[in-house]
Amino acid sequence: MNSTDNTHDPLVERALVSFDLAAEHHIAGCQPCQAERDHLEKALREFAGANREYAKRPEDFWEVQAARIRAARRESDTKSQLTMALVPSVVVLLLAAFAVLGRAPDTRTTRPAAAVAQVDADHELLLEVERAIQTDTPRALEPATLMVEESDGTLPLDPALRNKETRSHEN
Amino acid sequence: METALRSALGAAAQNITAEDFDAIVRRHQRRVHRFLLMLLRDADEADNLTQECFLRAYQNRSTFRGESSLETWLLRIAANLARDHARNRKAGFWKRLLGLDGDDNDGIADQVSTNEASPEQALLAREDVRAVWDAANQLSQQQRAVFLLRFVEEMELTEIASALGLQVGSVKTHLFRAVQTVRGKLRDLR
Repeated sequence: MNSTDNTHDPLVERALVSFDLAAEHHIAGCQPCQAERDHLEKALREFAGANREYAKRPEDFWEVQAARIRAARRESDTKSQLTMALVPSVVVLLLAAFAVLGRAPDTRTTRPAAAVAQVDADHELLLEVERAIQTDTPRALEPATLMVEESDGTLPLDPALRNKETRSHEN
Repeated sequence: METALRSALGAAAQNITAEDFDAIVRRHQRRVHRFLLMLLRDADEADNLTQECFLRAYQNRSTFRGESSLETWLLRIAANLARDHARNRKAGFWKRLLGLDGDDNDGIADQVSTNEASPEQALLAREDVRAVWDAANQLSQQQRAVFLLRFVEEMELTEIASALGLQVGSVKTHLFRAVQTVRGKLRDLR
């Protein structure tokens, strides 16, 4: 059996992931598994070494990077200090704005006056409607009613109406 | 010095001095950069995100409780940054289109040490490295992160779990799949 048709597959993985007594016991007595494990471990070691080499940078690179981090940190400190300095000022400004708006004398005095005027107009209209309801004849038909009453001789004894009648005869 | 820095961070993280933080940067920048470079396969982005990683660490230093090592905490920030970066596919699309993608498996394979007994063996070793790199590229980003932290950074499973915010069982599962993929690629080669 060569390494390409090893049927004890998961045991090598299990042994590489973490310590597994059963897997270790098997591999110790199984030549193909041992060879496969050795090959895999060697490839992983080379991979790790190659990655470390690849990630290597000259000392200047780390110095520049550290300097950039330092600059970014200072900028961050400055921003947070500025924010901390601005917060009290903003709070004071907000309080002042609330205090000014809290007084607001004009709006408070004019609004009730307008409301009273509105209430008066409504009251007048209500009285007028009540008066119209109490009279038997609609206002638009009042002249016709007068003519009928005059012809019937049932003219009311209202002096105002009588004067009006007199004046009309004078013409 | 590490212990002093850790205790400084754990006890009064906000009071850490600029000099302390500069020392932390100098001590850990290589590993953070290497991890990001392997994960992203893009040198420019690895450089940018390394700086971002340390800036975030500085800004959030009060959240470090010393429950994990400082390095694990930094790698966790780096892994989160890499994950967020991977979500932003627009930049990757344009880089791939312009041929600027950092998928430099030949460059990495060329770094194989030349201590092999013969040129043939050196060639085989380079092919193996290329196959492992190809296999790593087939993995999801989380599987790749687990794989790289284990076999390149040689971290313990518990450290990997802490760095990536996973359960140890999940780390083992990711690692198992990764090794299986690598083994398959190496078989294809032979």
